[in-house]
Amino acid sequence: MSVLRYASVVGYAALGESVGQRSGVINIGLEGTMITSSYFAMIVALSSGSPWLGILAAIAVGVLCGFLQAFFILRLRADQVVVGTALNLLGLGLTGTLYRARFGTSGQLLSVPRLPTFGPGLDAVLLLWLVLVGIVTWALFKTNWGLALRAAGEYPEAVEASGFRPLMLRLQGLSVSSALSGLAGGYLALGIAGAFAENMTAGRGFVALAMVTFGRWHPIGVFAASVLIGYADSLQFELQARQVALPPQFFVSLPYLLALVVLIVAGRGTRVPAALGEPYPREPGA
Amino acid sequence: MSDMRPVLATLAAALVFAAGCTGGAPTADNNAAQKESELSANKAAFKVALLTPGPVSDAGWSAMAYRGLQAIQKECGAEVNNQEAKDAQIRDAMRSYAQKGYKLIIGHGFEYNAPGVEVAKDFPNTVFVSSSGGATAPNAGAFRFKLEQGFYLAGMTAGLMTKTGKVAMIGGPDVPSIRSTFKAFRAGAMAARPGIQVIETFTLKDSDVAAANQSAMKAIEEGADLLIHQANAAAQGVFNACKDKHVLAFGANMDQNDNDSGAVLASAVIVAEPAFVALAKKVRDGQYKGEIESVGMETGAIDYIWNPALKAQVPQAVMDKVEAAKRDILSGKLAVPMDKF
Repeated sequence: MSVLRYASVVGYAALGESVGQRSGVINIGLEGTMITSSYFAMIVALSSGSPWLGILAAIAVGVLCGFLQAFFILRLRADQVVVGTALNLLGLGLTGTLYRARFGTSGQLLSVPRLPTFGPGLDAVLLLWLVLVGIVTWALFKTNWGLALRAAGEYPEAVEASGFRPLMLRLQGLSVSSALSGLAGGYLALGIAGAFAENMTAGRGFVALAMVTFGRWHPIGVFAASVLIGYADSLQFELQARQVALPPQFFVSLPYLLALVVLIVAGRGTRVPAALGEPYPREPGA
Repeated sequence: MSDMRPVLATLAAALVFAAGCTGGAPTADNNAAQKESELSANKAAFKVALLTPGPVSDAGWSAMAYRGLQAIQKECGAEVNNQEAKDAQIRDAMRSYAQKGYKLIIGHGFEYNAPGVEVAKDFPNTVFVSSSGGATAPNAGAFRFKLEQGFYLAGMTAGLMTKTGKVAMIGGPDVPSIRSTFKAFRAGAMAARPGIQVIETFTLKDSDVAAANQSAMKAIEEGADLLIHQANAAAQGVFNACKDKHVLAFGANMDQNDNDSGAVLASAVIVAEPAFVALAKKVRDGQYKGEIESVGMETGAIDYIWNPALKAQVPQAVMDKVEAAKRDILSGKLAVPMDKF
């Protein structure tokens, strides 16, 4: 259970991003979306006393970050990587600034209301993750919407010819990606840490991007990849705690070494969505 | 749905605009620096700069230096400025401050020592001081905060109070100053209870609260029942793990006894303000000579403070032994192990 808990942050963001990438949008801004959502989840939970409202705020902020990106990426056809990178820098700077303005320049150790747990460390958001993996798989592969969305990431011209709107599908894909990475940020602050600190996401958004590739753009594959890396991470902390005499740098890099090995062994035949990262229409003004 | 687009665009633009407005705040420091350079015709102004390895909002190592800087501003009437600077940025930041007429540049960490000595040659009218480090020049030197003294006493407390015979240290970044404090904690624990197991783990990250939490959880699952940290902004993760698992923690760098978790038994603290102010006064009055200045319990720069709310849980015998060790450190009878770096 504890493995799932800690793995779920990356898992949520990666699950959403697998939908986004299937629609043809690569959301480099996951990290920025997550940290911004973490901050507002913390603020809302602190001022209302309710972690649930905090989680809702995190999702809302995530969607807003998605819309912000959509304006540049889908409407202005800006480069997706550049826009996402800008969002990452904006998120880190904005939350750092707001945090210092509100809690003092020298910071505070914040103790934020946490989500209630039951049984062996379960909570509602964690369970929702497992349910969502099923729902997303079904929606992507068993519905007309899913077919159209995936086509928008492969050959958007064909989607247009069939009477769907590729940009609307991509907006939906990006929204799912942003909403779930917002939820991931909220859960990081309110479900796991019970705190907020500047840059507390510490690169999880980038790990999530890697998990989408690792999981082959399939929700179940992405879920498995997230859990595997989460397990390796948990294992490395356990090995450290058992005082296995190796430098900590080795342990901390263990999950990523594992991911590399898996990609080398099983890396053949990856199927990247053909139109991933490309603007639509491909020619401006077309 | 295309009628939605302008709405979305407006929303997005509003967000960018709002971000732009609030995003201005951190650059206030930089704007201040520019204004100061414009005002530097006024040579009388005594200007002091601080470089930190991490954000000064970390409620720990960098935050305490920032408080020291504020004390300098208040008590010496100095103009102050601060920046985060790591690795290759360090020399650039030092030079640009020195060129703007800063008289004292404090680098908060051992990694500022060598660059400080090097840059000091080109700016004889500026003093470069690092928090820890061993090299000196006529206008460059170092502080040595002997936080190890506080960690030693925490280690003793842990050794005397553990029921499982296991205690743990949760580190953020793996740097020499943190390693040295961990060594002192281990020595204190061993002195109190030979054969004790001292678990040592690192997350290698500055502000990853979740990783600190997971790391602490694993140490507790391995049997540790008293934990100390060097996790700065991520410390809440350690404290929350201790609260959830009903074990005790020690605060570090700052007095963290009043933490909301209620799990902090005592704190090993650095009181930077007096040392910073004394240094600034020396520099202002032209009295500074390059030196390594050790500041510890004997100068009031380090302290070990019990949490008044949990003090009752500490057996009198434990309290007596720790207080006796504290007196021995103060009188110089007990020398706490300390790395040179």
